[in-house]
Amino acid sequence: MTAPAARRAEMLPTSKRRNTFALPSIGFVAPAVLLAGVVLYLPFLYTTYISFTKYNGLGDPQWVGLDNYVRMFSDPGLLNSLLNTLYWVAGTIVLPVGLGLFIAVLSHNLPGATLFRLPFLIPYALSGVAVGVIWSFVLQTDGALSQIVELFGADAPRWLLDAPLNTFVMIVASSWQGAGVNALLFGIGLQSIPKEPIEAAKVDGASGFTMFRTMTWPMLTPLTTVVVGLSIVGSLKTFDIVWGMTKGGPGGVSETLALTMYKETFITNDYGLGAAVAVFLTVVTVLASVLYLRRQLAPERSV
Amino acid sequence: MKQHKTKAALMATVASAALLLGACGGGGNSGDGDGGGNGGGDVEPTELGFFTDKAAWEPQFDEMNAASEAADQSTLSFTGYSDAAAYDAFIKQAFRTNDKPDLFTWHTGGQLGELVEAGLVAETTDLWEAAAENGDVPEGLIENYTYDGKQYCVPLNVVYWVMYYNKQVYADNGLEVPTTWDELMGNAQTLVDNGVVPFHQMNFIFEFVWFQTVVAGSDPEAYVGLQDGSVSYTDPAIVEAMEVWHQMQTDGYFIDPGVTTDPQTLLQTGEVAMANFGTFFTGQLNALGMVPDEDYGIFAIPNVNPDLDSQQAIVETGPLCVGAGSANEQAALDYSAWWMGVDAQNAWTDAFGDVSFNPNVESPDPALSAVVSQVTGPDFQIQKRWLEATPVPIYTVASEEFGAFVTNNGDPMAHLEAIQAAADAYWAEQ
Repeated sequence: MTAPAARRAEMLPTSKRRNTFALPSIGFVAPAVLLAGVVLYLPFLYTTYISFTKYNGLGDPQWVGLDNYVRMFSDPGLLNSLLNTLYWVAGTIVLPVGLGLFIAVLSHNLPGATLFRLPFLIPYALSGVAVGVIWSFVLQTDGALSQIVELFGADAPRWLLDAPLNTFVMIVASSWQGAGVNALLFGIGLQSIPKEPIEAAKVDGASGFTMFRTMTWPMLTPLTTVVVGLSIVGSLKTFDIVWGMTKGGPGGVSETLALTMYKETFITNDYGLGAAVAVFLTVVTVLASVLYLRRQLAPERSV
Repeated sequence: MKQHKTKAALMATVASAALLLGACGGGGNSGDGDGGGNGGGDVEPTELGFFTDKAAWEPQFDEMNAASEAADQSTLSFTGYSDAAAYDAFIKQAFRTNDKPDLFTWHTGGQLGELVEAGLVAETTDLWEAAAENGDVPEGLIENYTYDGKQYCVPLNVVYWVMYYNKQVYADNGLEVPTTWDELMGNAQTLVDNGVVPFHQMNFIFEFVWFQTVVAGSDPEAYVGLQDGSVSYTDPAIVEAMEVWHQMQTDGYFIDPGVTTDPQTLLQTGEVAMANFGTFFTGQLNALGMVPDEDYGIFAIPNVNPDLDSQQAIVETGPLCVGAGSANEQAALDYSAWWMGVDAQNAWTDAFGDVSFNPNVESPDPALSAVVSQVTGPDFQIQKRWLEATPVPIYTVASEEFGAFVTNNGDPMAHLEAIQAAADAYWAEQ
């Protein structure tokens, strides 16, 4: 046996040695595991438990089995919230993500591209509730947008009063805020695309939309997956802009699942039903993320 | 060597667990010792932990502290929340710890009932008896604080629901303050004819205001009956009242529900001539620089039904509660007793420029003072505000239905049926 081989054999862990390392390592891992358990797993498990109880925040929760889930799914208001949430998911992928891509592609490789993208980023610094309040000035009856429409002799619609129009205009408001950060992400993606294949495509005569469709877009896929994935998750839990603009009203017609969850828990003090909506929202979010990422990151879909 | 490592591992695990538990339980025991001191008798004045969802009131409570200190009473350490939902959740959570709040503000109606049922607030029956003897509380107010014949909490404030009007708009349109419902509707019609919006209303938070005004002013017994389920939202008395409101909306008496400008601004600019609001509205108008009795006036809203025996007035009251088993329970009860008296209430009206529940204390604001002495007079019957008088599960559905009704002015019956369905479900469980 040569010297290095002997050393390798020495370094190979025997089963006995593995045990000596394993036990102390628990001690070092424990703080992180405990912390994650207490601040992440425990609240989720507790919320799930509360969703099977009748509880108003006082005294002890009473076990009621699936009652809250039955109430939740038999409530037409929840179906409306679900529909609005789906509008938000679809709208967010089309508008903030689409616009972000559009801005990034248009400004890519231009001198001073950052200057073009910067203004779109500024609204991102605002909180959603502030965006909601500002946009409600624009969209209220006799507000700025209605005045512009009436300037052209048309009757302005009741932007924030009629469903589903109010959800659509709120998606537009959220795009005003969200497009910039997507443009930034897509901008980074565009910069990381290797130059050689693009130049090769140029030599082959590709340019403009053909270049984008056949070269840029496929090579952006990893980043698009991340941006769209984040948008799906973000839009499923839409809360702040709606809270700032309509409070889910009038009469609950613009509520999203996140608003229903908040209202049931903290306004109605029906913690059990609120927790049931929270669990449902979590399941929908996890399912949507897993299905989407599975599809996008499947190995056979290599470029 | 192996043993040494095992020990180290154990130590690390124990230490991290201890750190976590320590962090969770930190600050939980500061109130131990003299808790539960409900044996009666005065204790030394101290600094009471005071919690409220009215964060904006801190400067006024500083003034109250000056008054209570001068009277050799406890002072309050003020913690204000500006989000009501977060505050409610905080108070409920606080009762699950050892740090129970000494004094806190809350809501009358079902929400106070919940706390009483769970045994979380200290009884104040003795305080109410003493206050009644001194004439410090008006008749009828006690009902908001009575559960199973015992009293809990004391009144923090009282709000009368009245009509605010822009005096300039009234003068420009040659209008007089109405004394009957017909006169009020006549004024509204004149304003509409002259292109002025008569009334303010909102499709959220205060969407129920005109419902309570019209129902109580049409049939007070039906209004009270709604509160215990003996009257249905689809009974003829309620349907008729809803039709009155429906007709007012059809006649264009209300501002467009899509206008989200503050009501005080709308009244100041004359975009609405009148606003049906609680007396807290005075503070909001004054903050805009409007002068009571000059720029705006206040009147009691006349009954819809002129044949009723007494004028109906809606009153809302918020409680100041003592946490049962809190560290300074007895001192907080002593403070509550002082709070109901004339000295404290004079300090209150000085600090807030508001009305006091105490009939022996007059508001410094002449407009408020006049309308309050009117609605607390012998011709008036006080009714609880609909929001507090309605069980929360019914309120939740009804507020959405009223919000939709204000927005779309649809068929009143459809909304009433939806509310009644929630009421049926609620009362069936009781």
